[in-house]
Amino acid sequence: MTKNKDTLRSIKLVNLSKSIGEASVINQVNLHIPSGEFFALLGPSGCGKTTLLRLIAGFENANSGKIYLGNTDITDLPPHKRSVNIVFQNYALFPHLNVFDNVAYSLVVQKKGKEEIEKRVLKILKAFHIEEHIFKFPAQLSGGQQQRVALARAIINEPDVLLLDEPLAALDFKLREKMLIELIELQDKLKTTFIYVTHDQFEALTLADHMAIMNHAGDIEQIGTPKEIYEFPISSFVAKFVGTTNILQGTLHNLDAEPFMETPNLGKFHIDIPHKKAWMYEGCDMSMSIRPEKIFISKKPVQNFSNTLRGIVSSIVYHGRSTQYNLLLQDQTKLQVFEQNEEHFPQETIDYDDEVYLYWQKENVVLLEK
Amino acid sequence: MEETVITSLPRRKRFSLGSLFTKKDIPFAIGCPALVWHSLFFYLPLLIMILSSVFDLSESGSFQGFTLKHFLAVQNVAHFRIIFKSIGIAFLTAILCFVIAFPCAYFLAFKGGRYKTLLLFFLIVPFWTNFLLHVCAWFFVLERNGFLNNLLLSLNLIGEPIHFLNSFFAIILMMVYHYLLFMILPIYSSLEKFNLFLFEASSDLGATKLQTFKRILLPLTLPAIRLGFLLVYIPAFGEFVIPELMGGDKAYYAGNVVSQYVLGNYTAPLGAAFTLMGACILMVSIGLLLWIFKRISKSLGGLSV
Repeated sequence: MTKNKDTLRSIKLVNLSKSIGEASVINQVNLHIPSGEFFALLGPSGCGKTTLLRLIAGFENANSGKIYLGNTDITDLPPHKRSVNIVFQNYALFPHLNVFDNVAYSLVVQKKGKEEIEKRVLKILKAFHIEEHIFKFPAQLSGGQQQRVALARAIINEPDVLLLDEPLAALDFKLREKMLIELIELQDKLKTTFIYVTHDQFEALTLADHMAIMNHAGDIEQIGTPKEIYEFPISSFVAKFVGTTNILQGTLHNLDAEPFMETPNLGKFHIDIPHKKAWMYEGCDMSMSIRPEKIFISKKPVQNFSNTLRGIVSSIVYHGRSTQYNLLLQDQTKLQVFEQNEEHFPQETIDYDDEVYLYWQKENVVLLEK
Repeated sequence: MEETVITSLPRRKRFSLGSLFTKKDIPFAIGCPALVWHSLFFYLPLLIMILSSVFDLSESGSFQGFTLKHFLAVQNVAHFRIIFKSIGIAFLTAILCFVIAFPCAYFLAFKGGRYKTLLLFFLIVPFWTNFLLHVCAWFFVLERNGFLNNLLLSLNLIGEPIHFLNSFFAIILMMVYHYLLFMILPIYSSLEKFNLFLFEASSDLGATKLQTFKRILLPLTLPAIRLGFLLVYIPAFGEFVIPELMGGDKAYYAGNVVSQYVLGNYTAPLGAAFTLMGACILMVSIGLLLWIFKRISKSLGGLSV
């Protein structure tokens, strides 16, 4: 019988629940993570994403529900019998063992031959560019080096699934960017299923093939590709949590021909309904999310846009590649706009207290239930 | 013309305590009281003891020169046997203390939860009471009509009372009871700081509980265990009250020999010589013990060491 690696490395959570004491941390979670994917689990601090990871690793026992690795039920297997390895947030390197022995640990406890251990460890240390630190102890390594040792230690045994618990949180920005690329390349090479837990949307968007967004209650709000999540959030929580956005509220009208949203103080906005959803009906409450970069700003009126608003610039934040304008609308609603800094000397300069026109196309708006 | 630049105003030198010391002297200054204390109450008596072991004194107490005769006098088979017996009982005490202390410290540190401090308190409380009270308490437990015998009799485990007191068993029991805390506390404080993620990491990497104990927990607590061993082993070697109270007439250990010589008439120099001889052998045995710990630590380390 040949092993079909395509399905063997998938993770399936079925009705998984976990409570600690009285508090329910994870409630009836269903999640399918396809084999060989880079999957990111994104959520605010304390949403239970780490608990979910610890359940998959086997450090916590679920109150109810099942965990499948491929077709095998691993719900009740102890951690050392699961082909799942984890990279801890604080790395948890063994302080009394040097780099070589830390990485060799899983082979040593499996009582592999000395020569095989040496060969495999040296190979992986080379691949991670840490071979020159082989006899150093964890305390003598920099954060980035410790990170590599922890990664090497976790994948040397070729697990089916690698869990990463905010592994880059302790690194500085430049190093983090570099490690992100390395992680993507590593996953590409290994074809191991990576489950990456983070509260950093930038990391999740960069890394993931698919990602799941968890909310404060430990429920999964949305699963999709980074692009789907960013461009088409299904709830205002997702829209606000991933990236920045502007939310306008109103009521829905004229569903079938030229639909629009009526706001109490700002008038009507044309909207686009490519697929009619179940929650939509004439006069229902709704919100719309417009990403700041999808709004254009100008001091002069412009044609050809479906929607126009007027506002006053209350502050300007220069970000380098873009400039952020914070605007105040007539009804004191705040709105954010990002503008690419395309030219050194733009034709019109926008300043504080300038009255400006804001434009966007109705196709670039996401409609949200409430 | 060159300009003179005034970078700082001249200051008048005033006397201050700080001017006596530079920064480098501070550790020395802090250590000074301890050094004085130690010199007065430890090195001075030690010197007196060493001198008294090599001074040849007449019966009237006048100095007649140096001699090694006291050392020659204490070097006999019986004395060596007693010293090695003491080393044996001290080692046995340390081993038993470790066997009891490790699980105890483990429980306190990892399973104690919010009762941790309370449990620790209960461990320490007996040490607030007088040592003789402990011995008395154990008398009540161990004597012919005591608690233990009555319990065993009532359970029909034994036909007639066992003679617990004045035995090797009683000495060991009292020794372990007396020195246990010195083993528990270092191990506890080491386990208390233990990074629990290391257990999870070990288990995640495929290690069983036993392997985790051997390869992670034990090597990381070994320094504390070694400290506990020294804290128990060294005083246990010189212990003379416990053998005397619990062991009866036959129990005769290094401490008892010393106390007898020192308290006897004109035999103090012999006691000094015997003590020094015993101390030398003890030091060699400690060296051996530390070497054993080093070997254990090496064997528990990784492949590359």
